[in-house]
Amino acid sequence: MATYQYLIDYFNEAPLLIQLAWAVSCILFTAIVILTLYLKLIRATLRKKDIETARFRKDYESTLIEYLYSSSEDGNINDQQIAIIEKLNVSVHIKSKRKIIISILYNLMNEVSGEMSDSIKTLYFKTGLYDYALARLENKNWYIIAKGIGELTRFKIEEAHDLVEPFIKHPRHEVRKETQLYMVNMFRFKGLSFLDELKTPLSEWAQVQLLETLQKFDDQQICDIKPWLKSSNETVILFALKLAKMYNQFEVKDTLMELLSHPIKKIRVRVIEVLTSLYGIEAKEMLKANFNDLSLEEQISFFGLLEKLVVPSDEPFIEKHLFHKNFEIQLLALKILKSINIDKFMGLSKSTKSRGNKKIIQFVTNT
Amino acid sequence: MDTSTVKIILQILHYLFFGYAFTAITSYIILSVISGKETIEYLKKNSFVNYKDILSSTMSPSITIIAPAYNESLNVVENVRSLLSNHYVNYNVIIINDGSTDSSLEKLIEAYDLEKIDFIINHKIKTQSLRAGVFKSKNPAFEKLMVVDKKNGGKADALNMGLNISKSKYVACIDVDCLLLENALQKMIKPFLEETSAKVIATGGVIRIANSCIIRGGKLIDVNLPKALLVQSQILEYLRAFLLGRMAWSRLNGLLVISGAFGIFDKEIAIAVGGYDTQTVGEDMEIIVRMRRYMEEKNEKYRVSYIPDPLCWTEAPDNYKIFISQRNRWTRGTIETLKKHRKIGFNRNYGSFGMLSYPYWLIFERLAPIIEVVGIIYFAILVILKEVRWEYALSFLMLAYIFSVLFSIIALYSEELTFHQYKKKGTGYKLVLLTALEPFVLHPFILYAAIKGNYDYYFNKKKKWGVMQRKGLTSS
Repeated sequence: MATYQYLIDYFNEAPLLIQLAWAVSCILFTAIVILTLYLKLIRATLRKKDIETARFRKDYESTLIEYLYSSSEDGNINDQQIAIIEKLNVSVHIKSKRKIIISILYNLMNEVSGEMSDSIKTLYFKTGLYDYALARLENKNWYIIAKGIGELTRFKIEEAHDLVEPFIKHPRHEVRKETQLYMVNMFRFKGLSFLDELKTPLSEWAQVQLLETLQKFDDQQICDIKPWLKSSNETVILFALKLAKMYNQFEVKDTLMELLSHPIKKIRVRVIEVLTSLYGIEAKEMLKANFNDLSLEEQISFFGLLEKLVVPSDEPFIEKHLFHKNFEIQLLALKILKSINIDKFMGLSKSTKSRGNKKIIQFVTNT
Repeated sequence: MDTSTVKIILQILHYLFFGYAFTAITSYIILSVISGKETIEYLKKNSFVNYKDILSSTMSPSITIIAPAYNESLNVVENVRSLLSNHYVNYNVIIINDGSTDSSLEKLIEAYDLEKIDFIINHKIKTQSLRAGVFKSKNPAFEKLMVVDKKNGGKADALNMGLNISKSKYVACIDVDCLLLENALQKMIKPFLEETSAKVIATGGVIRIANSCIIRGGKLIDVNLPKALLVQSQILEYLRAFLLGRMAWSRLNGLLVISGAFGIFDKEIAIAVGGYDTQTVGEDMEIIVRMRRYMEEKNEKYRVSYIPDPLCWTEAPDNYKIFISQRNRWTRGTIETLKKHRKIGFNRNYGSFGMLSYPYWLIFERLAPIIEVVGIIYFAILVILKEVRWEYALSFLMLAYIFSVLFSIIALYSEELTFHQYKKKGTGYKLVLLTALEPFVLHPFILYAAIKGNYDYYFNKKKKWGVMQRKGLTSS
């Protein structure tokens, strides 16, 4: 008691700065105690949650598999399935359990097809999971909306189209991307119609995901990509170029030729690459004539095109660039010469004095 | 000097020390708040991301993992196996055997069925020449692997050789003994592909400590808290630095360093700036500063990103000698980089890079140990002169200590709510206890190493990397 009184007196008589320091120390110490206790609680809760999740997952996995394999041949829901739906109906109201059920259903969805896939979709509707996903679309948080759209995409819920479509112009690019993926997953190439009016950039991340989605479909009948190649949105053009290459769009060659004079260098380089894959022989003479006006990247791309489309009459042009100051061009020029006139190529090592050039020639000779 | 002048000088010194400590603490608080916001934003953004498409897509950009190795024969075969087990489709691995004097190359040749191939290198960056040459595997299962045997030139030189050889758009520079999780590349590549308003020039990842963790077949099986207090303290230090520091700098686009243990770079920019500097021991920090400077001078919008997921695990020093050697090198690296790029500091032409990031590093990283030691010496003089006002000294020492403990607890709290890696029962107590002990078991040695680093920088110029002995992570 005396010590306590001494401390109180000491504190009261101490200068203001010291009083402040001790007061802050006490507050921080209290915070440490509270946070430590809270940390203990969090750790215990997380451990418990992990155990429960594992238990629920095991339980629901067997229930859901049972549901799928008890389907009757006529496609109608039988009593056993109704009982399972009723059991799940109770569980989906609890967020953590709902999350587990969705995750299991999604994994199953990836493993099955046809009737079983339809059966999962039916379950998705009957258990009320669909309503929860729709409720997410009305949430004020952008990431909840994105999650909702993602879920509808994974379960291939076309019925939600009218509710999802307006998000194509959402201010957050993450929500826009999820909406774009939804459209393409549901409506394949037709789903790409959002590109017609797209003013915002389409990230590389979104482009890769869209292309991957498109490749999953058996029907590879692509729509007209010309309008996108003419888009004022640079990223839409770049995406359309990827489509042109991936789906061998020979019919857009004329548009590609026009794009060779596009003001953006990145696009011009990609166009040459696409023309290379489409055997764009028409581009060769044009680019050859303007070779010196091209940027270095375009020149390298053009040599890539030449490597594929070279004919003996290109030899004089190739010869001019055999010792180009750019390594890639020099290497490609030597490779091309070797392929069209081996005798002339073999004679090069004798005529050149540069050690560096000899090394490259030696390398091309050996490969 | 009369007594009043001395008193005035002492008063000024008091206020300078107080002001410095106050500003440092305020900056830590501000940075931790920003980190918290950034972490929440990151978790929200990634709560619905489907990485599978990127993972399996051949349209995903190519990445080359460049891993320099010097006398790593003990674990090199296992480490390479770990690098080859990544789930990303479009990647390859280049191991640069940097003039090893042990049997690293022979072991790799044997384990991966390697054969020498004809290869021509475009020397965009000058490096030491090849020694035994370039090797590829005859076994298609290892088609992603290339081993380059060159004359010794140091880590930076080896990484430059990798930059010359890589044909990918992006390069992941990594220490060969690091354990990379299977999903590391797709997570790290995301910022490069997602950003549309600025060019992402580099992405850094969190480095986690793998001592005592169970690793089998190049995979992390179980995370354990090491027994050694030194290693435990480093875990806490890393959590603080990565979760409460770098996340904030990432949000402010002010990151000056990406750990040399794991980072992904835009190869074109890395080559355009001349690659890694072989004359510094802090090549990981230096290249980031140079890349940023290059982008600022070109007046192009850019970002250096940062991913907080625990993707890369490495072995931390478990004895004080190696620990001090490592921190000594880090200090010298910081001094060298800041000195080399001093033009940036407090220069408005470099925007927040020059007015915020550089000054912060200079004042609170570069000068901190010096100011601390000066403070200790000054305090000792006051003790000798019996001029210490103990009631002030004790109250402020207590405040500083309690703040440091609280700050570490917040880092733990942040870890539990995000990545929750140390799950085992009892680990929580140990970590909390560690927050109280760490200022005594780690900080004095960090301070000593930093001062030694300063001394070596100015008076022992010949000192380079120092020894970093590793025991290997292939435990089970």
